[in-house]
Amino acid sequence: MEWLELVLVGMLLPVFPASVVFNAVIRWTPTGWGKAAAMILLPEVGVALLSSISSARVPLVHSRGWIVLVAFSALLYAFRAISVREISIWARLMATSGLGLVWIFEATHRGRDVMAVAVLAWSVPAALLLVLAGLLTERSGGAYLGLQGGLARVVPRISSLATLSALALVATPLFPSFFALLHVIGVLRLFWLWPLLLVLLVWGWSLGGFLQQLLFGSYSGERFPDLGTLATSSGAVVLSLLVVSAVVWSGAWIGI
Amino acid sequence: MDTTAIAVPFLPALSAVLILTVLRANKRLAARAAVSAIALSFLISLAALLQYTISGTSRVETLGHLWGSIWLDPLSLIMWTFVSGISLLVHMYSVRYMLEEPNYTRFFALLNLMTATIFFMVSAADLITLLGAWFLVGILLYFLLGHDTDRRQAGRYAFWTQLTYRLGDLPLWLAAFVLYRTYHSLSLPVIFSRIASAPSPAHLWGLPVPAVVGTAVAVAAFARSAQFPLHGWLPYTMDGPTPVSALMHAGIVNAGGFLFNRFAPVFESSGVALHIAFLVGLVSAILGSSLMLIQNDVKRSLGYSTMGQMGFMTMECGLGAFPLAIFHLIAHGFFKASLFLGAGDAIGDARAHDGVPPDLVYVSIVERRPTRPSRLPLWTAGALTLAVPVVVLSLAHFAVAKALFFQQGTFVLLFFAWVTGGQALYAADRLTRTNPWKLMVGILATFVLVVIGYTLISHDFGAFLYPPAASTRLYHSASTGVLSDGVLLTILALLFVSGWVVTVLSDRRDWSRRLARRWNGPYLAAYAFFTRELYLNDLFSRAGELLVRVSRRLNLLLRWL
Repeated sequence: MEWLELVLVGMLLPVFPASVVFNAVIRWTPTGWGKAAAMILLPEVGVALLSSISSARVPLVHSRGWIVLVAFSALLYAFRAISVREISIWARLMATSGLGLVWIFEATHRGRDVMAVAVLAWSVPAALLLVLAGLLTERSGGAYLGLQGGLARVVPRISSLATLSALALVATPLFPSFFALLHVIGVLRLFWLWPLLLVLLVWGWSLGGFLQQLLFGSYSGERFPDLGTLATSSGAVVLSLLVVSAVVWSGAWIGI
Repeated sequence: MDTTAIAVPFLPALSAVLILTVLRANKRLAARAAVSAIALSFLISLAALLQYTISGTSRVETLGHLWGSIWLDPLSLIMWTFVSGISLLVHMYSVRYMLEEPNYTRFFALLNLMTATIFFMVSAADLITLLGAWFLVGILLYFLLGHDTDRRQAGRYAFWTQLTYRLGDLPLWLAAFVLYRTYHSLSLPVIFSRIASAPSPAHLWGLPVPAVVGTAVAVAAFARSAQFPLHGWLPYTMDGPTPVSALMHAGIVNAGGFLFNRFAPVFESSGVALHIAFLVGLVSAILGSSLMLIQNDVKRSLGYSTMGQMGFMTMECGLGAFPLAIFHLIAHGFFKASLFLGAGDAIGDARAHDGVPPDLVYVSIVERRPTRPSRLPLWTAGALTLAVPVVVLSLAHFAVAKALFFQQGTFVLLFFAWVTGGQALYAADRLTRTNPWKLMVGILATFVLVVIGYTLISHDFGAFLYPPAASTRLYHSASTGVLSDGVLLTILALLFVSGWVVTVLSDRRDWSRRLARRWNGPYLAAYAFFTRELYLNDLFSRAGELLVRVSRRLNLLLRWL
């Protein structure tokens, strides 16, 4: 029974191989807004479900093998994201990579209350990207990058918000994911730093590839409208709130 | 020193926010806001530096309870003044230079954010601020280098830079966590005082902690300062706007030298890291200078020149001459900034005037045309070349720093300075004039002045940055202890003198042409090897493409889920 619960939590707070279900749910959820809601809700439900399970009933989660699985999962999804050109696929693969790391708090008995907040560090920027991908799809028929050249000149507002959201997703300083990652590394023994640093490197690579496709080149497709002022401001407010919350509560994020 | 100094990093950051939120549509006001903020930062930095020279007290300003602390010590204040000075030049230059470019206001906002981040980086008094600022510099540089989004090449090379910087960030993360776990503090001054007061170094993975941290910090510095084999990105960053090239070559790539100095207390008990730094710096200096000579693109040639200079800077750190590295990075920064910012004028002049000026130095060095055969007698020129630099340099150093004169690092540094001086004299002799003696006397007088000035400045600079005991400990840590000073110097001297002899003989007997005729295959292979920049970039590109293919296969296998 515990196993079943654990697999269920693994589908919601994604860790490979159960993470395939998480990705499938987001993939098949219609519209960008629906995907974004799923991206924020599923991990939170996963954390809540995990909180209802006694630690003693899932000893596997507290073993070294579980940390290996979590690190492998994070690395696998980050590595897969380096060859992705579609915004919503990139966002969910990168989010899967980051969200999996939250399991480390449970694995090291560092408090489940941290987990509910830490998942937001990856789920909110990913949700924002999913919304932007949806808006882009509505306007241009798809959110594929690199086919028609850079979008920065055609839709500068969408491009700017997508760029900042992508930065927020890959542990860029001042965003919550940076401090959350510091916290994750802080609770582990130094030996485990190596795989996590590798994850950070692959995130950087993946981000570089994503931005290169998003921003650079001369656009050769049909023109389509950019975001309005209100929508752009709303996105900017969400991102600013992320930065402010990270800076103000950095102690809580870092957990030192 | 009052609290006004804390405004230095915040002024450019605030002006960037102002430009992005309010002044986005107003080019003139945005540029003015950006330049004013940097000018004010420069003035406050200068005032704080002057105040420090009078009071001589450094302190830490804490803004947050965990991170965000600023260390107002001589190193931070010198770096603030230097960075704000260079940044001010770049800003003023950009006001007109970038006027016709798209995203003018965004450019200034990014430039100011970059300057603010560098300010935070060089003055960080805790590990998190240092790590965050170090990390952010790489991100901001990506956007500055890729300012022209129409050009795919700009994006490609910005990506290379970002990836190399990210690779270099990782050892710094390792160093930060090892320091935090071992010394139980995030504060750099506290960590350094605990390292100094520990009777014996703590161990991690069977190694002394200072050695682990020192090596990690050194690797982080190598990536940031384009040291072999992490140098491939630097010559290709010229696709960015010229002011960005100037700022990067003058103020960002030399962050490696700063990092060595910031972690100097760690290196006092980490000789291994310093030996690695010396070797990497030596290889980078030789490679950078060699590759610079065979480039057919002027800007790329400047890129390799920077790599070579950064190699010398790293070597200086590897020899324990930490303050000299700071002096070097400042001198090189202003020199490179002037070269980049003056490049447009030089091109304009060349277009305006028919042909290049008939300058003897230009004809001999750039066009490599043989000059008139009026020279000093070979033995006279040889004796001057060998004897004068060693006498002048030794006397100058002996006069100002007797205590350090007998350290191995100083010996090696003097040796390199002698080689450089000898090389300059040798090159001057090859130029020839109708009156070679007049030329030689002029060069010698200049040489003496430069050496004395350099020695005095570097000595005073050292005394300003470090207490004498710390300098001695750094030199002591850098000593190998394997070879005696005499043996080491004899080997190096023999190597360089034989190099000169071979050059003179090959020049006189036309060896190079004969060798090229006889060993044509290996000669062409070597030429291709160097012109393809040791095939390192090809290797990294291939490895990258292979990994992307594997990633794509995995995605297909897992059906993108």
